[in-house]
Amino acid sequence: MKGLFGRKGSGRRKKEGAASADRGILVFENTSEVIQAERVLKKAGRSVRVMGPPPEIRSGCDLVIEFPLIEELDIVRELRGAAIPPLAVVPVTAPLLAPVDLFHTKDFGDYWMVRAANMKITVAKEDLTIVNVSGGGCPDVPFLAQQMVGKTLTDAPRPRDLGHTLCGYALDLAYEEMLRK
Amino acid sequence: MATTVDARGLSCPQPVILTLEAIRSGKDKEIIVLVDTDTSKENVTRAAASKGYRVHDVSPEGEGYRISITRG
Repeated sequence: MKGLFGRKGSGRRKKEGAASADRGILVFENTSEVIQAERVLKKAGRSVRVMGPPPEIRSGCDLVIEFPLIEELDIVRELRGAAIPPLAVVPVTAPLLAPVDLFHTKDFGDYWMVRAANMKITVAKEDLTIVNVSGGGCPDVPFLAQQMVGKTLTDAPRPRDLGHTLCGYALDLAYEEMLRK
Repeated sequence: MATTVDARGLSCPQPVILTLEAIRSGKDKEIIVLVDTDTSKENVTRAAASKGYRVHDVSPEGEGYRISITRG
């Protein structure tokens, strides 16, 4: 991903990709490091958010962490201390460098569906019961679905506590987004 | 008499939503759901079970499956 920064953009502009001078993104070697870094930074009380990489540097289904630029030095120090230094720190100075939202929400009438990366969770609006969990293709998805379907959002176990794969992580992001709704 | 839900060609979560709508209508004791992927088959049977429905039969039909669920 590091080598892609010199690439020219296509000139297309995504609506959600508005530039923000006070935010930056942290780029890592792989998704596993993103997950670890998010955990370290949230534990330290940092206001960070996992997002999709901006179009300018996208390569596949990678993830990046958006953070307040003013905290750059402290954050990078914390990540070095945790042995997960970022490959690059990029200020969001141009629209094509703005990270994109990982979430897509769809209204199915009596149901809401939230997709985060490759995982979807669907909830009945009436009583917030989880009616479907799908996506991914990881071996633990049927287990996650079995544990969550039929329970309400508040009663269901957290995917992050059950899952062992990137699908479990993505499902947890979708679950959190659903809780925010 | 059974209600038939044709969810072939639909992606998740639509087969589940259509099945739940048929369950909610409470019109017939038996509901037949037609799906065309393994994922839809699993999702529909799981959702039906969570609503107290019994998966009576799952059989191949064409390029997919015919799922029969019954109330109680």
